[in-house]
Amino acid sequence: MRAGYPNKILPYILILPAFTILVIFLYYPQIEVFILSLYRVALLGLRKTYVGFENYYRLFTSPKYHYSIEISLIFTISVVIVGMAISLALALLANQKVRGARIYRTALIWPYALSPAAAGTIWLFLFSPTAGLVNYFLETVFGVSPDWIGNRTLALLMIIGTAIWKNLGYNIVFYLAALQNIPRELLEAAEVDGANAFQRFRAVAFPLLGPTTFFLLIMNLIYASFETFPIIDIMTKGGPVGATNILIYNLYQDGFRFFKTGLASAQATVLFIFVLILTLLQFRALERRIHYGA
Amino acid sequence: MLKRLIFVGIVGILLLAGLQSGSLIAQDKIPVRFWHAMGGWRIDVIDRMAADFNLQFPWIEVQPEFKGGYRDTLHAAIEAARAGTPPHVVQIFEVGTRLALDSGIFTPVEDLISMCGTKVDWGWYLDAAMEYYTIDGKHYSFPWNSSNPILYYNKTLFEQAGISLPKEPTYEDVYEAAKAIVTGGYADYGITWPVHSWFIEQWMAEQNQNLVDNDNGLAGRPTQTFLTSEAAKRIFRWWGTLYKEGLYAPTAFEAWAEAKRNFLAKKAAMLIYSTSDVAAMGYDAASAGFEVGTAYLPVPTEVPRTGVIIGGASLWITKDLPRDEACAAVDFVVWMSSVAQTIRWHQNTGYFPIKKRAVEVLEEEGWFERFPNFRTAFDQLVETQVTSATKGAKMGAFLEVRTAIGNAFFRMKELIDQGQSVEQAVDTALSEAKQAADQAICDYRAAIGEPCP
Repeated sequence: MRAGYPNKILPYILILPAFTILVIFLYYPQIEVFILSLYRVALLGLRKTYVGFENYYRLFTSPKYHYSIEISLIFTISVVIVGMAISLALALLANQKVRGARIYRTALIWPYALSPAAAGTIWLFLFSPTAGLVNYFLETVFGVSPDWIGNRTLALLMIIGTAIWKNLGYNIVFYLAALQNIPRELLEAAEVDGANAFQRFRAVAFPLLGPTTFFLLIMNLIYASFETFPIIDIMTKGGPVGATNILIYNLYQDGFRFFKTGLASAQATVLFIFVLILTLLQFRALERRIHYGA
Repeated sequence: MLKRLIFVGIVGILLLAGLQSGSLIAQDKIPVRFWHAMGGWRIDVIDRMAADFNLQFPWIEVQPEFKGGYRDTLHAAIEAARAGTPPHVVQIFEVGTRLALDSGIFTPVEDLISMCGTKVDWGWYLDAAMEYYTIDGKHYSFPWNSSNPILYYNKTLFEQAGISLPKEPTYEDVYEAAKAIVTGGYADYGITWPVHSWFIEQWMAEQNQNLVDNDNGLAGRPTQTFLTSEAAKRIFRWWGTLYKEGLYAPTAFEAWAEAKRNFLAKKAAMLIYSTSDVAAMGYDAASAGFEVGTAYLPVPTEVPRTGVIIGGASLWITKDLPRDEACAAVDFVVWMSSVAQTIRWHQNTGYFPIKKRAVEVLEEEGWFERFPNFRTAFDQLVETQVTSATKGAKMGAFLEVRTAIGNAFFRMKELIDQGQSVEQAVDTALSEAKQAADQAICDYRAAIGEPCP
C-alpha cells in the first residue's frame, strides 16, 4: 500500500478536508459537551459552577432516568426487531412477480416520504381516544374504546407502531434492492436440490441478505434512538407520566425545556458512549459472520 | 366615532413629538429589533403595527422578528445577549418572568422610562395586568398580550337538555350540568379542558392559595410548592370524580387543540379554555352549528372566588443599550400599549385591552354588547382581587413544575383506573407531583448559586 504513496505528506493532505469537517462538526462539539457536563449551568451558560461528576451521579441515581432507560430499551428493541421483520416480510411479498407490483412497491415506500412530524400528526388523529378513527372502529366492532393517550402501555404501543410504520419504506427499499441482487442460479440450484420455499429463504436468501440486514440494523438503531424525537414530541410529549420518555426526549426536555444545560450535556455524553459501545460490539460480533459475497 | 377621534388625537400628538425632534430625521434611523413569539396570523398583525409605528416615528426603524414559541424566544434572546448582539425588545411569557429577571440581560422598563423622560402613568393600565409584572414594587416590563381561562359551553345543547349555568358557576354546578348532559345522552362527555398546569394554577389562585412559598415567589426565590394543600386536593378530587364518572374527556399532555376539537365536534358540552380564543370560538362553533355561551371559571363550591391570574406575555427591554436606542425602544413599547393600539390588538386577537381607557372606548362603541363573550372574560379579570395568589407565582423552574403538575393528572387517572378511590389517588398523585416539583425548584436554586436551605 505504502508504495502507492511515494509522498509521505500527500495522504494527510487528502484526508484533511474530511478531517476538518469532522473536527469542527463532531469532535469539537462533543468535547465542548463533555466539558459542559462537568458544570452546573444556569440560564443557558450565563452562570456556570464546576461540579465534577455530580451531573453523572445524579443521572444514575435518578429513578426518572432509570425509567427512561427501561422505556428506551423496550422502544428501541421493538422498533428495530419488529420493524425489520415486517419490512423483510413485505419486501419478500413485494418482490414477487404479480400484476401491479410497481404500484405495491411505491405504496410501501410512501411512508418514508413523510416527515416524522407529519407522521406523528396523522397517527395522533387516528388514535385520538375521543375523536379518532381507530377508536371509532373499535367501538363499532368490539364496543371498546381504549385510551391510547392516557394509558402507559397503550401510549408506548402507539408510539412504537408509529415509529415502525414511519421507517418501513426505508427498510423495504434496501431489502427489495438486496433481494433483486440475489443470483437466480443459487435459488434455482436449491430448488433442484428439493428445498421448499421456506428452506430456500432460510438457507440461501437470508444469508445473502446479511450485509443489508447488518446495515439496516445499525440504521434502525440510530433511527429508533435519535430520529423518533418528532413523533414523540407531537404525539405524547414523553407522557403519560414518562411512559414514552425515551432517552433522547429526556435529554431534550432537560436541556431545552427546563434549561438544565449541564445535566443535558451529561446525558448527551452518556448517549454518545452508549452508541460507541453498541457500534463497536456490532462490528465485532456481527462483522465476522456476515457474508459479503464472493 | 370616539375611537377615531382618539386615534386622530394620538396621531396628532405623535406628529408634534416627531416635529420637535425633527433634527433627528436627517440622521440614520435608530434600529429597534423586536423579537416576539406570536405565530400564524398574528405575525401579520404585528408587522402591520410595526409598519405604522415606523411611519409615525420616521427616525426609528422597528424590525419585528418572529422567533418561534415563547421558550425559543427567551432562549434566542439569552443566546444573543451572550454573543453581544441582543435584540432591543423581547416578548416574554408570564411564567418566564423570574427566568428573565435572573438572566440579568434586561433593564426594568420603569428605570428606562424615567431616564428617557417618557410620560407613563401606571394607573392607566388594568391593575391585574400591571401587578403581574411588578416585582418588589418595580415595573420590569410592559404587559402586552394578556388572557385568562373561562368556561365555554354549548348553548344549543344546554337548551335541548333544559339546563343552564349561572354566570359564576361552582364545581358543583358544573358537575351537575355534566351529569345531566351525559345521562341524558346529549353528548359523550360533559366537559373537557387540556391537561395543562395553567388551569390548576388558576384554580389555586381562585382559592387564594399560593402555588409556592416565599409569598408565591414574590418575596424571594421559592423553596417548595403547595401541591399537597387542601386547595390543590379540592381541585384534583373534583377533576378525579369527573373523570371516574366518565364526565370529563381527558386530553394528551398540554393538548390545547385536542380539547378544543372535542368541544367543537360536540363530544363534550363544556370547555375550559383561554380567553384569547373568544373570537375564534364563536365563529368556529357557528360553523359547527351551535351557539357558544360563556361563564366564569368554575370554583370550588365551599370557597369564595378570589380571581384569576393574568396569563400571556409582556415586553422587556434589554440592558446596556445606547441611550438613543433604549429610548426608541421605550417609545415603541409605550406606543404598543397606547389606547388605539391596545384596542386594535384586542379586536384582532382576543387578548385583553390592558388599558383602562381602551376598555371605556370599547364599551362606548358597544363592542361588548355585540360580542358578549368578550364581556365574561373581561369582567372576570376586572373583578379579580389582587393578592399574592392572583399575582401569579414567580419561579425559575416554572416549566418543570408545570410538567410535574400535568403528570399528576395522568398518575391520578392511572390509579383510579386501577380501582383506587378518588381520595387515595389524589393523595398519591399530588405527593409525587410535589416531590418532583420541589426537586426542580431546589435544582434551579442550586444552579443559580442559592441552594435550598
